[in-house]
Amino acid sequence: MISRVIEWMDERFGIVSIHRRILRRPMPEDISYGYCLGGMAFTFFLILAVTGMMLSLYYVPSETEAYRSVQKITEEVPLGWLVRSMHKWSASLFIIFILLHTLRVFIAKAYRKPRELNWMVGVFVLVLAMGSGFTGYLLPWDQRAYWATEVGTSMAGTVPFIGEYLLHLVRGGPEVNGNTLVRFYSLHMLYIPLSISAGLWMHFHMVRRQGVSKRL
Amino acid sequence: MERRDFLKRALNFFIASAALLSSALLLRFISPRQKTAIEQYHYLMQEDELPRRGVKKVEFTIEQYGKKRTQRIFISAAKGSVTALSPVCTHLGCTVVWDHNSSEFVCPCHAGRYNISGEVISGPPPKPLERFTLRVESGRVFIGWKA
Repeated sequence: MISRVIEWMDERFGIVSIHRRILRRPMPEDISYGYCLGGMAFTFFLILAVTGMMLSLYYVPSETEAYRSVQKITEEVPLGWLVRSMHKWSASLFIIFILLHTLRVFIAKAYRKPRELNWMVGVFVLVLAMGSGFTGYLLPWDQRAYWATEVGTSMAGTVPFIGEYLLHLVRGGPEVNGNTLVRFYSLHMLYIPLSISAGLWMHFHMVRRQGVSKRL
Repeated sequence: MERRDFLKRALNFFIASAALLSSALLLRFISPRQKTAIEQYHYLMQEDELPRRGVKKVEFTIEQYGKKRTQRIFISAAKGSVTALSPVCTHLGCTVVWDHNSSEFVCPCHAGRYNISGEVISGPPPKPLERFTLRVESGRVFIGWKA
């Protein structure tokens, strides 16, 4: 039954052959588990995407309601504590595994020609992932979140000449308030995940095109 | 059965059960519990202990999410009426203090100021201090608290 539905769709959509091309590609025999680190990071990205979409059903990005809605997610929503914890822990593990993956690529000298552009895209994704962590940290809207953002964004103000402009830009005003919350929420929910998705698509496309590099 | 087929089947089984389990969890997550906040009355003090003029800080114990918690509020008496005010600043949730000299509630975080009735005089607070209902029954004062 299921295979007939898939067949019907594939006749029109041609999805199975693409699926095979991506998932069932030949790999060198002598690679280690170190080559799984990037895949692990991607797995955590998927978990973050799913749990984030779930959390967005209950989270309210407003100055007066944000803290209460997070409290509600943790204490009242069925399994809300689980979803929120998964999101929180996956966020840390996402960054950790990106760093480990970066280390593996560095040790294997896999950043050399023809893979320089893929290294750059990877760094771009790392920076975005950290940006996602920074913007997500504000969303619980408790004292720790508030002051972390206050301190973090104030660093933008130390840039010569355009510091004040940058500070107003990231905060949405002279101080951290509801505008900052909405701004960070939008970045965290929309801009950064979309950019990371685009970056990862480029990343995987190039891996597919160039293959994994052999060890030294 | 060949090794390859076994692994394929095992993987399919694993993916199917993971998908089933996740859908069950998702369904549970999106169906919220029906729970309306009920206002409960907690004993505060005797009626003759109420302040006639000025502000008094009062503590009482509530139970929330299975934990006992001490809650502090202000009882403020002005112009013949007594009100129970939350000490939580409506700006960012710091605890306000009663300043005897200026007869104002002052928030130490961003210098928000409220008058004795909890209305904003100056500073960043967007709303007056939250008020709670007080009920007097046979000389005993109770406070209404939404759990």
